[in-house]
Amino acid sequence: MRPEIKEYNYDRILGQTLSAAARFPAGSDKETELTYRYIPYFKGVLKPLIDTGVPGKIFLELLALYYENILTAHARGKKICGTTFCYSPAILYAMDIVPATFEILTALGGMVWKRGMFDYMDFCCEVGMPETSCSSQRGFLGAFLAGLCEEVDFLVCDSPGVCDTNANAYAFSSAYLNKPFYQLNYPSSIGDERSQKYHVDDYKEMIRFMEEQSGNRLDYDRLAEILKEVDLQDHLTADLEDLLMLVPSPLPPLYNLMIYAGRFCFSGQKIYTRVLEAMLKWAKNRAKTGLSGLRSGDEKLRIFTCYIDHYTVNLNFWNYLEDRNFGHLGCILSRNFRDDNKYVKNLPGSAYGIDLSTKDAMLDSMAQLNARMPMVRTIRGPYDKPGMWLDESLELVRFFQADCVIYNGTPGCRNTWGMVKPFARDMEKNGYPTHIMNDDAFDDRVESWEATKERLDEFFQVRGLL
Amino acid sequence: MDIFYDAATKVKCESILNWKKSGKPVVGYTCSYAPPEIFHAAGILPVRLRGIETDGTDIADAYFGPFICSFPKCILQLAGKGMFDFLDGAVITPGCDSMRRIDECWRKAGEDHDGIVPPFFYYFDVPHKSEAHGMRWFKNELKLMIKAIETHFDVKITHKGILAAIKKFNIGRRMLKEIETMRWAKDVVVSGTDVFTATIAGAVMPRDEYNQHLKQWLSGLRRRKKSLSKNKIRLMLAGSASDEINLIRLLEENTGAIVVAENICFGIRAEGNEIDEKGNPIDNLAKHYMDQSVCPRMYGKYKERLTSIKERIDRARVDGVVMQNIRFCDLHGAENSLYERDLEAAGIPCLKLEREYGPRADSGRMKLRINAFLERIDAKSNQKSTEPLSVSA
Repeated sequence: MRPEIKEYNYDRILGQTLSAAARFPAGSDKETELTYRYIPYFKGVLKPLIDTGVPGKIFLELLALYYENILTAHARGKKICGTTFCYSPAILYAMDIVPATFEILTALGGMVWKRGMFDYMDFCCEVGMPETSCSSQRGFLGAFLAGLCEEVDFLVCDSPGVCDTNANAYAFSSAYLNKPFYQLNYPSSIGDERSQKYHVDDYKEMIRFMEEQSGNRLDYDRLAEILKEVDLQDHLTADLEDLLMLVPSPLPPLYNLMIYAGRFCFSGQKIYTRVLEAMLKWAKNRAKTGLSGLRSGDEKLRIFTCYIDHYTVNLNFWNYLEDRNFGHLGCILSRNFRDDNKYVKNLPGSAYGIDLSTKDAMLDSMAQLNARMPMVRTIRGPYDKPGMWLDESLELVRFFQADCVIYNGTPGCRNTWGMVKPFARDMEKNGYPTHIMNDDAFDDRVESWEATKERLDEFFQVRGLL
Repeated sequence: MDIFYDAATKVKCESILNWKKSGKPVVGYTCSYAPPEIFHAAGILPVRLRGIETDGTDIADAYFGPFICSFPKCILQLAGKGMFDFLDGAVITPGCDSMRRIDECWRKAGEDHDGIVPPFFYYFDVPHKSEAHGMRWFKNELKLMIKAIETHFDVKITHKGILAAIKKFNIGRRMLKEIETMRWAKDVVVSGTDVFTATIAGAVMPRDEYNQHLKQWLSGLRRRKKSLSKNKIRLMLAGSASDEINLIRLLEENTGAIVVAENICFGIRAEGNEIDEKGNPIDNLAKHYMDQSVCPRMYGKYKERLTSIKERIDRARVDGVVMQNIRFCDLHGAENSLYERDLEAAGIPCLKLEREYGPRADSGRMKLRINAFLERIDAKSNQKSTEPLSVSA
């Protein structure tokens, strides 16, 4: 790693940046516009967020708070848990533990900094992580392994059985830094009695582990409060998704990112509810105008990204959607699979409910919710088995009236690369033009954004989608 | 040894073809977590699926993406070419993400290549943890698989039958253990290539036949006197799954080295341990296959594996460890780095190699690095022998 990178802690620098970003729109619009001149490198990511109005402003506060929580955790006597995006942090908040979600911390650095998270990613390889492992963890992980962030006290992930490269990143960290580690394991099936019980048994073991590591007993009153907030957030998300069904969709593409990033950071916390409420208010008003949520108001194409989005510098992918007037219908990360969502009706066993009646019911709710987090629900089993990736994607493209499907991931995503070709073929057979992007969602060095953009344009042109 | 060599180097080996002639079924499986004893108890020949004898991956590349380990690709390639036409069934296990997707890719390839999917095609869901609930899950998986085999093949698999199969497999395990012990001696009388060949043969040959030939070979080994290890560097081969005897041969081609231990999926690592022959056979199988945590797919067990590999290094008097991982095998790639850090700190030289699976793939490059590694060990041992003795005041 370059010596100058080692001079400052990653989370401190980015935390300061985001803290300043959150204060940025506090002035008048004119002041904000003028100040953009002084942040040429950050403008690309900040302006699109601020342009979304109140939701974007609250979202910036949310991001700043996320870093502040990490940076001040130990001073406040709290433990930090290193975890993953597909793990609901609601339980951590219920146990007064601060989450540090590797993928979120990688994505934010990658989006904000021109240099991306490359130095940290490469440091992982210097100390032994294979270069073929997933870049989504390797960004923050590099800072973590190099000691360039707040000390993470213990690690919890829930990807064994779903994503080797994800689970391996946490296992490696645990062994490399001698950190306590718990891994929730998911079977290849979901919804049947045996899988449901396995989820709960494993989750209870995890609670015991976290109690031991944090020194905090799980406070069920607090859990109930958080689950009530999760319940509210689920319903707000469902309302937003109802609007997403409209043609044109009144949701700006960035709203999808904000829905899932907010959930990964602050599930069950009020600040995320505020973001959702603000988005819903804005989108409802927009819907009344009959315009698309895109800046131009014109929606030329409706895109469903069947896996993840693209998170490199300056929100390139999102700005591309705006420039081309493409509506974004969400991705594997956007959906929560709550039991009263309309799209789960044809996907039996795919959904969870929230039951606050007893302690066991609450734990069961959390365990089943967690088992239905993005990725760990969808690609745990063979993609063409009932309710898995193909069924889910087909249901969602029909539901949201998508024109085409885009697969984007990272070269480290062994699990989807193992099946994405037949998956794409099946999507095509069902009438949905499907494009497989060969880039890295977190690392522009694998394929430059310019090349990615050209390939996307080529796909839309060749397939006659425009 | 010829029959072992035939079994280890040919997909359609003589032993399998002879078994087929008798009209009895053959089932392939992809992972060492699937107990062959169950198939044996059903009168089925269990055959570990391998990727040898491939000359490209054009068929597999049509289904697997580009960032996938070449081992499952080679297996799919063979399937696509019809080389597994002797299979009556296949059991796919989520050993790792690349291997688990053979399930879909094979089935989908079957839509384009007629008759390549065996009639019994089963997904055996092995958990990633061996704690109480993981064990319960695994036992249930065993029971479900037994039921599926019984239904499909119209056979009855009894506890008595499984116990008898365990006994039979243990005979082979005991012999392999004895061979392993022979390799711990200062003077080793058997090459690593031969031991590896014999071990791989055990993963494809009918057990009775295998035990019989292993017994004969072992009795010959017991009589051997000539040391093959004199003045040689003693190596351990570790890392990704490999059934390529040429890989061991590559190490031993250098006249200054002998492979005295392996820590890989196809080696004696797990084959040398016996399974309890009394009590509930499902419990015994579960304990044997799930409790060992020998594979990095069992996350959070690195310390146990490090302890185990250190013990094996000590026992076999290993001078250096060659750790290979097939490209895109992140599990072994990462764990090899941890081993390298910890074993080097303990004074054990390590060589990390990333490679492709396949016949002699990368052999020139690998040979160069192996030779450099052997020179390093050689120089180290020379340095030790010429160091002046410290004299206390």
